[in-house]
Amino acid sequence: MTFLKATGLSAGYGPITVLQQIDVEVQEGEFVVMLGANGAGKTTTMRAISGLIPRQGRVEFGGVDITKASPDAIVRAGIAQVPQGRGTFPELSVEDNLHTGAFVRSGADSVRDDIARWLDVFPRLAERRHQRAGSLSGGEQQMLAIARALMSRPKLLLCDEPSLGLAPLITQELFAVLEGLHRDEGLSVLLVEQNANLAMHIASRVYLLETGRIVASGSAEELSADDSIRKAYLGF
Amino acid sequence: MALFFQRLVDGMSYGSVYALIALGLVIVYRGTGHLNFAQGEMALFSAYCVYQFGEWGIPIWPAMFLGMGVGFLLGSATEVTLIRPISKRSPFAVFIVTLGLFTFLNWLDGAIWGNQQLPNSGVGSKQLKYPSLFPNDPQDQWLPFGVSIRYERVGILVLVLVLTGLLFLLFNKTKFGLSMRAVASNAESAKLTGIRTNRVLMMSWGLAAAIGALGGVVQAGLNGNVNLGLMFTVFIYGSAAATLGGFDSPGGAVIGGLMIGVIENLASGYLPEWVGQEMKLGVAFVVILAVLLVKPSGLFGTAKVERV
Repeated sequence: MTFLKATGLSAGYGPITVLQQIDVEVQEGEFVVMLGANGAGKTTTMRAISGLIPRQGRVEFGGVDITKASPDAIVRAGIAQVPQGRGTFPELSVEDNLHTGAFVRSGADSVRDDIARWLDVFPRLAERRHQRAGSLSGGEQQMLAIARALMSRPKLLLCDEPSLGLAPLITQELFAVLEGLHRDEGLSVLLVEQNANLAMHIASRVYLLETGRIVASGSAEELSADDSIRKAYLGF
Repeated sequence: MALFFQRLVDGMSYGSVYALIALGLVIVYRGTGHLNFAQGEMALFSAYCVYQFGEWGIPIWPAMFLGMGVGFLLGSATEVTLIRPISKRSPFAVFIVTLGLFTFLNWLDGAIWGNQQLPNSGVGSKQLKYPSLFPNDPQDQWLPFGVSIRYERVGILVLVLVLTGLLFLLFNKTKFGLSMRAVASNAESAKLTGIRTNRVLMMSWGLAAAIGALGGVVQAGLNGNVNLGLMFTVFIYGSAAATLGGFDSPGGAVIGGLMIGVIENLASGYLPEWVGQEMKLGVAFVVILAVLLVKPSGLFGTAKVERV
């Protein structure tokens, strides 16, 4: 079943159009990776899907048109985003950050269970649960941002360059968690990255984005089998 | 010593009003990063309304809550109709809009209620003086050691402390408080967690104006009447209190307000020749300047902690 379906999606900032009518799909249970260099439009894609910036075209989620929906309605519909640069609430404690993630849900007991669960997955957050998020390291903040997004029990998780500015070991750890959730619980993920190497291993399907257009798409094997694509975009 | 205690209590009761205005400023500032220049005048409009309710025979306590309701509506309507559309264009425009609102509201009060102080027998007011929330006849005081501790002053102080406690619970123990803190911390991430940020901002402005309205009513009660210039200096003291406490700290706003009230009252009381009524504002500002030189984010403001 097609989960997310964006057709002819264009978006930008003021007079500047960054995304030029791209088509993106995520099937239920898929792990889709969008690769692209700086300025290709990856973050714009994420922001457009989440409704943070004005967009043209059509965005459907689970068969429902969400093109005109507000950001909070999109979260309620089941799309949670881990924004680029973590986007945690630095003045709030780790635990309060997690609580905000559960805003769209009700039922205090299950929220507490979920907090316990993600603190279990990310033990370093458990040690710091009463500290302010702003005092965490970059890797810990990224863990917190992912955990916060998962607190809403999303059907689709959007991840905007989780590896940005992180040590390779931390990045691997984060990807392992995401891969585990995808494999064991069938979480659908749309992840954008510059780090082709890491992302290609997990991806069910890959989009290549260049200057606001999708220039190639297919399975990871298909794309890495294509010599010209591999040299030009994947760098291996 | 007893005189000191009297001046302390008096200072804190005046400081309570500054604290209320400062609280409103801080709530708006935390939510939107704007300084609401019309905070004092919004409070004045509500204070005039409460006078009007009194003329209609409504007792002061229900009238006060009605006045706070008027304040809430005024504040939230301002956010929705003026601040929200304009802040998307330019933060400086918001500054001008709040200044404009300041003059507009003052004009509006004058247009509705005239420029004389109220109540006023000349315009046929039924009330003899502006209603006070607490007993304030001449005999309503304790007289320990021959100094006067007025019930009204103590009552106001207690009221403000209770309100501060309630606000603390609202900010720290409720879902709405958490969403306010989240919006203040990072508005875009707040949207991504499903918080209806527009609603939170509207409610924040409403809450700020409602608290300010209480400040206006208390100030008019202490003053005995309401007039067009009532909130000018109070607003200046209130902004000073917010600065002293740290512009993003509600607790700091209250403590800052009380401190300024006490400082001005002690200075003018103990140094009547040097400071007196005219220069007490100056003393308060010297203290604030000294504090800010040592602690630039104010007494309780958060210095931004960020790991990059």
